[in-house]
Order: sequence, then C-alpha cells, then structure tokens
Amino acid sequence: MNAMIQVNATPGAPVLQADSVCKAFVSGKLHTQVLNGLSLSIDPGELTLISGPSGCGKSTLLAILSGLQKVDSGRVHALGSELGQLDLRALEHFRLQHTGFVFQGFNLFPALTAQEQVELPLNHMGLSKREARERALRSLEEVGLTHRIKLRPSELSGGEKQRVAIARALAKEPELLFADEPTSALDAANGQTIIDILHTIARIHGTTVLCVSHDPRLVAHADRVLAMEDGRILSDSRRDAVALKENPP
Amino acid sequence: MVALARKTLVYEWRRFLPAILAVGFAGLLQLLQLALVLGIFGATSVYITGSSADVWIGFPGTQSVGSGRSIDANVESRILLDPAVARVEPYEWIDGDWRGTGDTGGVSVFVSGIDPAAAGLMFSRVLPPDLRARLAEPDAVIVDRADLDKLGVALGRTATINGQRVRVVGVSSGLRGLGGINVIASLDTARRLDTDAADNGPTYLVAKLRDPTQADAVAVRLRGSTAFGPYTTWSSADFARRSVRYWLFDTGAGAGVLFLAGIVFLVGAVITSQTLVGAVQGSVREYATLNALGVGVGALRKVVLEQAFWVGALGLVGATVLGVVLLLAARAEDVPVTLGPLAALACIALVMGQAAVSGMAAMRSMRRIDPATLLR
Repeated sequence: MNAMIQVNATPGAPVLQADSVCKAFVSGKLHTQVLNGLSLSIDPGELTLISGPSGCGKSTLLAILSGLQKVDSGRVHALGSELGQLDLRALEHFRLQHTGFVFQGFNLFPALTAQEQVELPLNHMGLSKREARERALRSLEEVGLTHRIKLRPSELSGGEKQRVAIARALAKEPELLFADEPTSALDAANGQTIIDILHTIARIHGTTVLCVSHDPRLVAHADRVLAMEDGRILSDSRRDAVALKENPP
Repeated sequence: MVALARKTLVYEWRRFLPAILAVGFAGLLQLLQLALVLGIFGATSVYITGSSADVWIGFPGTQSVGSGRSIDANVESRILLDPAVARVEPYEWIDGDWRGTGDTGGVSVFVSGIDPAAAGLMFSRVLPPDLRARLAEPDAVIVDRADLDKLGVALGRTATINGQRVRVVGVSSGLRGLGGINVIASLDTARRLDTDAADNGPTYLVAKLRDPTQADAVAVRLRGSTAFGPYTTWSSADFARRSVRYWLFDTGAGAGVLFLAGIVFLVGAVITSQTLVGAVQGSVREYATLNALGVGVGALRKVVLEQAFWVGALGLVGATVLGVVLLLAARAEDVPVTLGPLAALACIALVMGQAAVSGMAAMRSMRRIDPATLLR
C-alpha cells in the first residue's frame, strides 16, 4: 500500500515492537504504574491474544501499541514508524492508513445503515465513492451480513452489530487489527462467530490481529497467547511448532 | 460521502427539534421586532417619506420633524433664487388639542398644514389628488382611517382643534404617526388653528429640485445666508434619517430594542448550542471510534458545524413562513410594520450567525473525544 509496508516485507521482522515501555496514570494524589518496562514484539499475520485479570494493564498496552496513547518512557515501533515521534495529526493519519479497531461496545451510529457504517471511514481514506461501496459490500459479505446491509443498528442483533463493527475495521484493509474484548458483550454462539471471523482475517488477509480478551475460547484460536499481570508479561506461549523458533522477549 | 450530519439530523429529529424551534422562534422574534420598530419609528418620518420634496428648510438644530420652530417666510424667495430649485412651498406644523363629538376627551394631534394644489409636494405619496383637493374647503381635515375611533369622529363629522371647528372630509392610510395623531389640513386652515402668537412664519419650507440627485449638494449650497434670520437645510433623506435616529436613540427606545435583540440572540444560541452539545455527547463513543480508525477531529467537527447549519436553515424556513403570515396579519390590522430587503437580510444573517456561534460552542465539547477511553 505504501513505503511503510515494504519495510516489513522482510519475513519474520516484527510489525509491532515495544521497548521498555512505561506508563502510569495519576488520579489526584494516586499514582498507578500500569506498565513497567515492558518489551514485546509481534510478528506479521499472527493472531495474538493478550489475556489477564482486569486492571493488569492489557487494555493500556493495546492503546499504546495502536497509537491511541503515548508512553511515559520507552519506544513503540509500528510498521517501521516510531509512534512517539508522530504528532497527533500524523498519528491519526497512521491509524487511518494502517489500523482497524474493534471495541467491546459496537459504537455504531444509530442513523446509519450497516453499509454506511462501513463506508464512512473509507470516505475519509480518499477512496472513490464506487471503491468505498465495493469494499464495504465485500467486507460485509465476508462477515456474513450481505442480507442485512440496509438495516440500522436498532434492527440488528448484538452479534450482527459486532460483525458490522468488524466489517468497518476490515474494509480499511489494515495491516494491524486491534480488538478489545470483542466477544464479552455477546452470547456463546455469537462470540464463537466473532472468534472465527478474527481467525479468518489473520489467515486469509495476513492481517496482524492483536486481541485483548479473557474469553477462554479465543485461546484455542490464537497463534500466540500472552498472559499479563501487574503490568508485566507472565507467560508467552505459542500454539504450534513454529513457537519453538521464537525467542521470547 | 456518507452524509452523517444530515442522516443523524433526520433519524434523531426529536433530539434536534428544540434547537430548530429555538433558532426559529429567536429568528421570528428578531424579525417581528425589527419590522415593528422600523414600522413605528418609520412613522416619525412619514412627513418626509410620504412627500416628494428633495430639500427641507427649517430652524437650525431641529432634531426631528416634530420639533421644528417657525422660520422667516421671506426665506422662500432666497430659496427660489437658486436655479436648481423647481418649486418651494411652506409646511406648517401645529400642535393641537382635538375634541371630538364622542367620549374621547382631549386628544393630542399634530396638524400638518400643506399646499392642497394638485402639484403640492407635502404628502403627495400618501394623499390621492382628489382627496387632496378636498382640503381646499375651509376647515377641512383628513385623518388616517385607523385613528377615527381614537378621535371619536366619523367621515363628514365635525370636531374642534384648539377650539376651532374642523370637519373630516376624508380618510387616508399610511398617515399614522408616533407620539400623536396626524391631522392634515390646508395651509389656510392650519394657520387659523395656530394659537401660538410667536409663530409668524412657516415651520418648514420644502423644495423640489429640477434634478433630485443633487439634493445633498443643493442643501449645502442653500445654507449660510442669515439675511432672513436663522434657518438651515437638509436633503430629505438626511432629514428622515435624522428624525428616525432621534426617536431610536435619544428616546432610549433604540437602546431597548438592541438590548432585547441581544437577549433573544443569546437565549437562542444557548439553547441551540446545548442541544448540539447533547447530540455530540450522545454519539461521543461513535465519534471516538471514528477517530480511532483515523478520521481526524477536524472532520468530526465539520459534522457538528454542518448540523448547526441545517438547524439554522430549518429554523429560518419556519421563521420565514410564520413571519410572513404574522406580518400580513399585522398589515391587515394597520399595525405599522416595515421590512425591507436589508432588514430581512439582517435577520437571516442573525439566525445563521446564531447557528454558527452555537455550532462552534458545541464543537468545544468535542475535545472530550479520546479514543483511548474506549479501551477501558
């Protein structure tokens, strides 16, 4: 898509890398150290799951790796760019070109149909009207919502809404897809559908999927599982034999 | 481009309705207030705007038509000497006390003594020639039909002004004044009604020029001579403005109008901005998600501004429809309302300005959009 991707064409080079990242939050006199010198690298095309108890810092890690939040110290490289060096506008541009997000809440505009929800960010990427429409329809087809494209959020089930949200992220054709507890608001069947879709995205599109969740079903589908506690990574396990080649940070 | 602003406005119209109503009614209030003020205070210059004189000659320092003092009658010959002047006629202004036949008590009236000739300049735009000719009868007067009840008189009936008998020979419209009732009489009749011994000349002289566009230059040229006692000159446009300004500002009425306009503007803007802020906050998570996906805050702000624009436009449509109906009703009831294109444009600018200010105030609430909060 652009120069940044070609930098990472080298097989095995990490698409996401965190070096000695520290992050603290101050609320009144209370100083909470959320991440303390954390280092991590994520390989392209993998579905990585970050799990851990609530308050362990996994959402903060996701926010930092995706460029939504700045670090106090340390460095984050994403697709060859150091995120700390980018200003607000450059970060927005980076996210526009390279990232997709799926949140726990579906965050869909009540007034827009499924198709319009997906088209909206594409409009801002500078795609032509036709291209935006085609991409939107393709993504909605991929998440199995072809027959629901003219419906508004109020006419969709929770699972369908999350699929629209995934299509919205997917249609941007991002290299990086970040998902925060994507299944926690859904029942078992819908949760499973979402997991399958995320898995497929990583497999078929080669998208690097970074997912924060404590849903045990997701573990079975992840290429790599990072367990976090108190701002540190406790364990780093891989599902298949490839894991043996990996040197944990 | 997906029209997020418009689609949200249509889908969540209930949310935006208060803002549309607030803008609409604020606009309507401004519009009616302006029309009424222009109508009422425009009445203070009806003597000038209803006449075809180009230059007015009166006592120096006169602040409005109603506060003139008599000048020397011989000034007329001085004015006629100027080659640019085509016609000069005197105009008498007399304060009178009207006693009708009905139970109305005394009524304060302003008697205008004019030349009843067909070519006469005074009130040539308000009085049709046949009506004007009737003033030639001794003691004949004409009043506005809307004032008949207040004067306790009917067409053809008699009354007295300053103790002298007068007869209503005609009614006209567009003669209503401010601060008193206008009564039109011939110069002869008016002089007979004048009880002030100090008045020994006309209150004004009005002149018609061969080239009306020269009014300002001729007015300046005619000043300066003191051979016939004190007098000064104004072009009619200048004197009309002077009269309206006197009423607007020196009476405090103008300040009141401006103050009220400010309050109406403020109230409308506050309601509108609060509604827009509410709409932003109702969608703050969706906006934050778009921002996480890389849609810039600037583009999101445009959505709010566009919504403010539509709120203003819809409010304006409502205000226009209601305003036209109310103005027509006011006209039918002889309520003095005037709304020129400039005043209408000012109202439109005010309404859209109000929407823009509200939109910008609401945009400030977008600072709370932080996609990182979606991850907690």
